[in-house]
Amino acid sequence: MSHQMMVLVLQLGVILIATKFLGTFFSRKLKQPKVLGELVAGMLVGPYVLGAIPLPGIGPLFPVIAGSSVPVSVQLYGISSLGSIFLLFNSGLETDLPTFLRFSGKATVVGFGGVIVSFLLGAGITVLLHPEVHSIMDPEALFLGTVCTATSIGITARILSENKKISTPEGVTILAAAVLDDVISIVLLSVVVGISTVEMKGGSIAWSGIGLVALKAVGFWALCMVVGILLAPKFTKGMKRVHSLGIIAEVSFGIALLLAGLSELAGLAMIIGAYITGLALSQTDVAHMISERTKAVGEYFVPVFFAVMGMMVDFGAMKSVLGFGILFAVFAFIGKLVGCGAPSLLVGFNLHGALRIGAGMLPRGEVTLIVAGLGLASGAIGPEMFGVAVMTMLLASLAAPPLLVATFKGGSGYKKSLAAKEEPDIVTIELDFPNYTAVDFVRRSLADGFRGEGYFISSLEGVNPSWQIREDEKVITMSIVDGTKFSLTAKRQDEQFVRLMLTETLAEFQQFTDSIKTMESPDMMGARLLINMFSDEDQQESRSSGAGSSPRTKKR
Amino acid sequence: MKLKNILSPTLVKVHLAGNTKQEIIKELLDLLVADGKVLDADLAFHDMMEREKTMSTGIQHGVAIPHAKTKAVKDLVACIGIKPEGVDFQSLDGEPSKIFIMTLSPYDRVGPHVQFLAEISMVIKTPHARARLINAKSVEEVLSVFGL
Repeated sequence: MSHQMMVLVLQLGVILIATKFLGTFFSRKLKQPKVLGELVAGMLVGPYVLGAIPLPGIGPLFPVIAGSSVPVSVQLYGISSLGSIFLLFNSGLETDLPTFLRFSGKATVVGFGGVIVSFLLGAGITVLLHPEVHSIMDPEALFLGTVCTATSIGITARILSENKKISTPEGVTILAAAVLDDVISIVLLSVVVGISTVEMKGGSIAWSGIGLVALKAVGFWALCMVVGILLAPKFTKGMKRVHSLGIIAEVSFGIALLLAGLSELAGLAMIIGAYITGLALSQTDVAHMISERTKAVGEYFVPVFFAVMGMMVDFGAMKSVLGFGILFAVFAFIGKLVGCGAPSLLVGFNLHGALRIGAGMLPRGEVTLIVAGLGLASGAIGPEMFGVAVMTMLLASLAAPPLLVATFKGGSGYKKSLAAKEEPDIVTIELDFPNYTAVDFVRRSLADGFRGEGYFISSLEGVNPSWQIREDEKVITMSIVDGTKFSLTAKRQDEQFVRLMLTETLAEFQQFTDSIKTMESPDMMGARLLINMFSDEDQQESRSSGAGSSPRTKKR
Repeated sequence: MKLKNILSPTLVKVHLAGNTKQEIIKELLDLLVADGKVLDADLAFHDMMEREKTMSTGIQHGVAIPHAKTKAVKDLVACIGIKPEGVDFQSLDGEPSKIFIMTLSPYDRVGPHVQFLAEISMVIKTPHARARLINAKSVEEVLSVFGL
């Protein structure tokens, strides 16, 4: 036990250092997403490369764990799962719930499109290029088709979060579609396992069992969403009585862990439960505060998740199927790009948006390996086809991050006519000030006023300095535009309140400017500060007489 | 915020006697003092006039919202006065003010008074509601405009 813990601690140390170095190197020097560096770090230090080298007194630091679908220890896999829960919980918190709900219908079309096209292309190419596979109903074709379907939401969520794109129409569509993808993949896997068993051993397919799996997965998802959305505001309202944002964040994450576990119990991935919890809490005024706290802790765990994902890449398994593997991976790419991109065009996105959604759905992760591992364990696929799955995961994980970053550059991916139709009823109040100091004074005073009334204020990323002021469902955005313009945006129903708050602040500003007029001229103040600095005898004299206000410096 | 928790018949006057800003403020303040809501009437008057010096609270369409932060009250207090003939309150549109909504609030909280005024403004933003107030013959008529 103590040996295992010692190894785990050493592994975590190596992973953290390697991911931080390579993550920084990839983002700063290569201008690539950090996650790519973390994946590569995992590949390098993992069980198939450097981790296999025996160390004195320990043996290989990352030994391949035989008989498991993942090549790392249960302990390490557990820590990495915790990382994925942190990641998806925060992604949920960063998602704009109304936008998510508005786009969930479109995401359903995108998710189904991606699964169907990817499955058919994956199974089809196996039939076409593999001499021993003659039909799409062959277990090998079915498993490889399924390998193509599952999207790894983690990589995309990380990149969307880093680039502040989670709540864009494309961002929410990708996340909702990826969640749906997971549900469909679980159902599809049950169907594939059922058919494969019949194909290999005879008998009939247990459709009732498959139906139950589907019902459980969909039912859990729907139930958690409805209950979560209804209860989250009441939960945070009650929790505010403890007057500690830290406790609210910790209890919220505890709920995310509970729901993640229950999600696994229902046959879904744990990250789905974590995402739902974050999503439900995203509508509350403390969402940003919870995210700020859990994100800080997540910084230690999330890289472990990506490193472990990188560790799953067995370069040796790919050698014998290199050609087929690359071709298969290309078709897997096309499956998602076309399968998710084309339906996006039909539900209101333009070509730009369709490409973003296709790229966002590209990454494959641990679900790919779990599916392939199941196929390998059941004898439906051989080790070489397992290698193909690994290669698909590797190439998709490496190609998706830069592609996703590149596609998200530029304008809106949503058709203009539709975007305008969905504009909420908001008003913008703008005031011009002579300089930044003045506008910043008003901004700070107004923020203090709102804070005093129990509002939560958080800074927003953007071209202009912006802040979100929030209390329950009341959301106001405050910005300084071009250094001197003060802008407030609010729902029309809150306009009066915002105008009056701003008027009060301006009255304070007026008092401040009036008081400035009564003070001694700053020029004179400056002169008094400098007056005796360059003459020792005058300085001593002024000190002994106590006159003047020249600054005193401590001499040691 | 419930307006009925702030307003009551003793805090409404339908025919204000004052003819200047100072007189109107004094008269409204007397309503609050008589109701026992002000700890120090002189201080409240002083703070109110200081606030008026900073920025006149005569708005437009005959509405004025004299208000101030003061140590003379512990909680938000408010009263309403009507002067159908109008008084010069240095309003933004230059029109005489006829409807006066006065609030006094403690220094540490700005929200309740802002919330109160926001709710009042929602009611009296229509010409019909303002006309009902100006033509009100009784305190009850004034309060009924606010659904009280």
